[in-house]
Amino acid sequence: MSIIEARGLTKSFVQAVKEPGLKGALKHLIVPRNITKVAVHPLDLSIETGETVAYVGPNGAGKSTTIKMLSGILKPSGGSISVNGINPYKKRMENAAGIGAVFGQRTQLWWDIPIVESFSLLKDIYEIPDHVYRNNLEQFIELLGMNEFIHLSARKLSLGQRMRADLAAALLHNPPIVYLDEPTIGLDVSVKQKIREFIKKINQEQQTTVMLTTHDLGDIEDLCKRLIIIDHGMIIYDGSLSEVKSRFARSRVIFFQVGSPMPELFAELDQTPGIRLTLQNEQEFSVAFDRYEYTASDVVSRVMRHGEVIDFRMEDANIEQVIKAVYDGNLDLNLNQQAQ
Amino acid sequence: MSAIPLKKYRSIANRSLQNVLAYRTSYVIGFLANTVNLLAIYFLWQGIYSGRSEVGGYTWDQMKTYLLVTFLANSVLSWYSETSISGKILDGSVAIDLLKPLDFQSARFSETLGASLLEGGMSAVLLTIFASFLSGITLPHSPLVYALFLLSLLGAILVKFGVVYLAALLCFWSTGSMGIVWTRIAVTNLLSGALVPLAFFPDWLERLALWLPFQSIIHTPTMIFLQQTGTAESLKLIALQAFWGIALWFAGKAMWNWAVRQVTIHGG
Repeated sequence: MSIIEARGLTKSFVQAVKEPGLKGALKHLIVPRNITKVAVHPLDLSIETGETVAYVGPNGAGKSTTIKMLSGILKPSGGSISVNGINPYKKRMENAAGIGAVFGQRTQLWWDIPIVESFSLLKDIYEIPDHVYRNNLEQFIELLGMNEFIHLSARKLSLGQRMRADLAAALLHNPPIVYLDEPTIGLDVSVKQKIREFIKKINQEQQTTVMLTTHDLGDIEDLCKRLIIIDHGMIIYDGSLSEVKSRFARSRVIFFQVGSPMPELFAELDQTPGIRLTLQNEQEFSVAFDRYEYTASDVVSRVMRHGEVIDFRMEDANIEQVIKAVYDGNLDLNLNQQAQ
Repeated sequence: MSAIPLKKYRSIANRSLQNVLAYRTSYVIGFLANTVNLLAIYFLWQGIYSGRSEVGGYTWDQMKTYLLVTFLANSVLSWYSETSISGKILDGSVAIDLLKPLDFQSARFSETLGASLLEGGMSAVLLTIFASFLSGITLPHSPLVYALFLLSLLGAILVKFGVVYLAALLCFWSTGSMGIVWTRIAVTNLLSGALVPLAFFPDWLERLALWLPFQSIIHTPTMIFLQQTGTAESLKLIALQAFWGIALWFAGKAMWNWAVRQVTIHGG
C-alpha cells in the first residue's frame, strides 16, 4: 500500500446564508438558512514513499482542506484515508508522531523563548532519542544557517529566519512524511534557495515523502517530480511534471531584434495559423508558436529572409504559464482521459 | 499514564514557566494593577467595618486575611493562562497543536501549571511582604493547616482550569472571546466568593453557590486558611474540589471531542 492513500475523500461545509443588512441578519437569527458547500469532491490519491509531490491550485481550490484531512485535524465528510497505514483522523496522536508539517502562515515555535528551547521541547514531545536529536540539530543548523539566531526567541526573528527554524522544527523527529504548506511564502531568493536545497537533501537522504503546496512555481520546478493540480475541489491533473510540460507547454517564443522594420514579414506572420506575433516596436518583436507544428529554425529562417537579424533569444513555455492558464480556466486539463 | 509520556507534559510546563519569565515586565505591571485593586477593596471594607466589630460573622482582622488569601488564590491562575486557550481557538493556531502527538487538554493544563507555579510563588512572596505591614492578620499556627491550604490551592487551580477550559471551547462557536471571558470572570468572581464571602449572600444564593463548582476556587482555600473548618471538614472540602476538578476535566474532554468534530478550524 502507498504511504498516503485516499479513496473517495470528500469534505463539505455548512455555510450560513445571510441576506444583506440588518434585516437579513435578524432574519437569519430567526430562520437560519444554510447551504452545504462542497470543498473537496470525491478524490483519489496515492503517494509512494520518497515521492515529492507538488499540490497546486488557486486560492480556495481545496488544497488546505485536503492537507488538513490528510494530517488528521479535519474530519472528512466521506471516503477513506490511510497515512503510514493508519487513519489520521481516528488516530490523530499516533498519526501526528509520524508526520511533520510547516504551515507557512503559522509558526509552531514558542514566541518568547529561545528557538533552541522550542526544539528541545519537541525532542520530548516526539520522544526523539538523544543521538538522533543531536545529529539532526547539528546538521540542520549547518544546512539552514541557523547559528546566528538559534538562541533568539521567535519574536525577534525575520520571516526568513523563522521559516527556516519552523522547517527544522518539523523535521527534527525524522518524520516519514512532511506536509509543507507554502514554505517559501514571502521569502527572498537566497532563503528560498536554502530551503529548497534542504528539502531536497532530506528527501534524498531519508526517503522522506514530501507533499508541497505552493504558489511559487520555482519551488515546484526545483523540488517536485510529480504534480497534482486541484481546482474547485477536484483533481484536474495528476502526473509527472515533465509530461504536463511536454503536453501543455507547447508554445515556444523567440524574441527578435532586427536591423530594419519588416512590414511584409509582419503581414505574413499575422496570416499564418499557429503563430502569434507581438510587436514591441518596429525593430523588436516576439514570435510565439507551437513547437510541434513549427521548428525554431523554420521561424528564424523566415525572419532572416526579410532582413538582418541583430539578436534573438528563445524561451520555452514553463510550468508557470501552464498553471496560470489552468487557473484562468483557459485550458481544459483533462489529461487523464487523453492519456488513456 | 506511564512515566515516559509524562515527560512531554513536564517539558511543556517548563517552557511555559520560561515563557512567563520572558513576560516578567508585563507580570509586574499586572501585579501592580491587582495591588491597586486590592488596596481599593481593602479601603472599601475598612469603611464598611468602621464602627462595627463584625460583619456577617467576620471580624475586620479576619476580613483582611480573607482579602489577602483571595488575592493569592486569584493570582495563581494568570490572565495569560485565562486567555491563551481561547486565543488559540480564535486565531486558528489550535491547528498547530492538533499536529502534535499530544493530548490538547493535558498540554494546556501543563502550560497552566507551569505558569501558575511561578506566578503563585511570586504572589506569595509579595503578599508576605505586604502582610508584614498590616497589623492583625490572623495567621494559622499549625503546619497541618498550611499543608491543607496548599492542597486546596492546587485543587483551586484544577477547578479553575476546568472552568476556563470549558469557556474557552465555547470560542469554537463564537468569533470573539471577550464576551465569553468577561462573563466567565463575572460569574466566577461572584460565585466563588472572590467579591464577598459566600456567608454574606442571602441564604438561597449561598446554598446555590455551595452546590456549584466555583466555590472550590476561592471559598475553599479561604475557609481552610481562616481555620473556619476543622481538619475533617477541610479534607471534605478538598475532596469536593477533586470531585469538581475531575468532573470538569471529563466535561472538557467530552466537549472538546464534540467540538473538533463539529467545527471548522478558523483560517487557512
